[in-house]
Amino acid sequence: MQEELSVIDAIPGLAWSADPAGAFQYLNQRWCEYTGLGVDQISGHGWQAVVHPEDLPDLLERWRAILLSGVPEEIEFRLRRFDGVYHRFVLRMHPLLDGSGRVTRWHGVNSDVEETSRRAEAWLAGENRLLEMIASGHPLSDVLTALCRFVEQVDPRCSCGVYQIDWSGPTFRDPIAPSLPTSYTAAIEGLPVGPDVAPCGIAASSKHQVIVSDIGSDARWSSSAYRDHVLSHGLRSVWSTPICSRDGSVLGTFCVYQRTQASPSPRQQELIGQVTHIASIAMERARAEGALKRSKAYFAEAQRLSSTGSFSWRVLTNEITWSDELYRIFGFPRAMPVRLERIASRVHPEDIPQLKHLIRRGRNEGSDLEHEHRLQMPDGSVKYLHLVARATRDEQGRLEYIGAIQDVTEQRLSDQALSKVRSELARVARVTTLGALTASIAHEVSQPLSGIITNASTSLRMLAADPPNIEGARETARRTIRDGHRASDVITRLRGLFSKKDPAAESVDLNEASREVLALSLSELQRSGVVLQTELQEELPLVAGDRVQLQQVILNLLRNAAEAMSGVHDRPRHLVIRTERDGGDRVRLSVQDAGIGLESASVGQLFDAFYTTKSEGMGIGLSVSRSIIESHHGRLWAAANIGPGATFAFSIPRQPDPGISAYALADTRASFPADAAPVASTA
Amino acid sequence: MTVLPLLVAVVDDDESVRESLPDLLAELGFAVRAFSSAEDLLAGDCLGEIRCLILDIAMPGMSGADLQRELRRRRQEIPIVFITAQQDPSVRPRLLEAGAVECLFKPFSETALLAALQAALRAA
Repeated sequence: MQEELSVIDAIPGLAWSADPAGAFQYLNQRWCEYTGLGVDQISGHGWQAVVHPEDLPDLLERWRAILLSGVPEEIEFRLRRFDGVYHRFVLRMHPLLDGSGRVTRWHGVNSDVEETSRRAEAWLAGENRLLEMIASGHPLSDVLTALCRFVEQVDPRCSCGVYQIDWSGPTFRDPIAPSLPTSYTAAIEGLPVGPDVAPCGIAASSKHQVIVSDIGSDARWSSSAYRDHVLSHGLRSVWSTPICSRDGSVLGTFCVYQRTQASPSPRQQELIGQVTHIASIAMERARAEGALKRSKAYFAEAQRLSSTGSFSWRVLTNEITWSDELYRIFGFPRAMPVRLERIASRVHPEDIPQLKHLIRRGRNEGSDLEHEHRLQMPDGSVKYLHLVARATRDEQGRLEYIGAIQDVTEQRLSDQALSKVRSELARVARVTTLGALTASIAHEVSQPLSGIITNASTSLRMLAADPPNIEGARETARRTIRDGHRASDVITRLRGLFSKKDPAAESVDLNEASREVLALSLSELQRSGVVLQTELQEELPLVAGDRVQLQQVILNLLRNAAEAMSGVHDRPRHLVIRTERDGGDRVRLSVQDAGIGLESASVGQLFDAFYTTKSEGMGIGLSVSRSIIESHHGRLWAAANIGPGATFAFSIPRQPDPGISAYALADTRASFPADAAPVASTA
Repeated sequence: MTVLPLLVAVVDDDESVRESLPDLLAELGFAVRAFSSAEDLLAGDCLGEIRCLILDIAMPGMSGADLQRELRRRRQEIPIVFITAQQDPSVRPRLLEAGAVECLFKPFSETALLAALQAALRAA
């Protein structure tokens, strides 16, 4: 019984024990302390004297009902404290039954609801203050200091510390223990996290709370330097609790010290649980904020580096938000509100109609947008912008565009410069080819000139004869004119092929273009001993492009093929030029030779500028050819033949309009040597 | 007795040459046969009567130089005047060294042609 009484005394409420009739038999000490009455005064039914008179009738009625039924319930009433002040209490009870189920005794506890709720309110207020600090963005060190202060205020016996962990060590860093001297916390800074260093190290590495109720006598720390450190600061008990993030990783530890030997009470444990939770929120938030800050900095840097700004546009309200980089691109001050009219004021006048159309489309269709337009800056410079925007809708279905705008001015200017250089390079290549073709050209012109002179001589002689041969002279004069036209045609073709002009987009018949090039190259090919075979597909679709540039490619491929066969003596130097449809929407031209073939090791380099296997030549032909074909949205490739030699081919898209065939067009143009004609027939 | 005109043969794959040159040679008083290839000439029946051969250098199949070698192999010593539209001057000394009478670059004048023919007939 003595033991039972000491247990009752230890209960933190007003505990009692009563007989089945409800007469109090045992009371704990707190009854007397609280009411200021003696045990005798309270025992039996004396306790009723301290119940508030207004609450007593109801209490007694329910008390009797409980005694009769044996079924416990909670009763709330006011109880007078020693100073005459009434506090609200809750009465909770429990029946002790014998073997037959009869009540042999009642045990109960009266709890001060107001104190409990006041304490809970104080806790809650403290927690709320901490959470407010976190929410309002106070520095983490301030929050953790306030957190320690809060616990020390709730339980003045405790001194607290919060130690964050740098897992790159891993070591403890930035220790915060506001009521402990710097000499104590200085030793924590940099302390390794591990299973055998200090209670905090163990708690962090094991993720479990470590309770050291007396470090002086605890065998685990008998030879530890940490023990002396703790004791030298007048501390004895150390309770260390890991602070875990939501994903379970350990962010730090919360440490409670007392100057006497002590273990945490359930209430203290509850408090520790609460504050470590708050500490984890604060530390996670600080970590997330740090990451967000870094991420924002990276994002801003990435935007600056890539000259890309981001924006959002709420279509219904016309609310537009811009990133800093977009302000910079448009050259607007950062604080300036963005409106569509303001944006339009910067857009290049020629691009305004397109922009209006884009905005209209955005409003009406709500589809994703992609657009390029220019800005005319106040200093007269022009910027090229590329805009991409995705349409999104909020919960209410309101349309919002989230997008990015990239300043592509440098790219555009580079493209233009590149195009100019490419064009210039193509011209240089043409001139280089012109040099190589001089003999061929001279040959082409000399043939008809020779005819003209011979015919003119003949004609003169016929007219000088006696009698004059008028009919013969007329016939030779006709031939003279024919040969004159022939020479003129050569000049026309040359002028087209070698004149400098900007790339043009026109309808090109690859068959006709090939014939023109062949006509100029025939004697060159013949001189190289080439046996030419032309396989130009009839009714070949037209392609859209620059005729002169494409002819340049054909010429390069022909010369390349001829040169590849210059060392061949054991077989015919057979060259096939072939045009054909390539799938439904492309046209292919290939030049097949019987030359030295491709060295597999150098195939990858074939199209590099200045790569050449020839002793003569600059090695720019194939490189220029490829860039020309790529600018026609096509590709140029080389492949080894099954037999000797290689085939170079390009494939480019046909002109979108399928209405006109190359065949129909070819009929209206100058005629050229027939497809099947061997090289030498026109030499 | 009738003096038969001297037979000159023209071998050139270019049709306009085969049209114009024989007409002029005829006006100059020569008998002329025109062939479009060296092979045609060799296959013909007049090889022994030809007093001068006006021969294009670059032709498909047998070239002018090939024909020159072939005739020498057959011991047919016909004076040859080469004509060419190529403009490579190094060709001429090589051909002359190989026995040609002359090498004319197209376009050539009537005078140059006559001078070459006379030289050829002297050599014959």
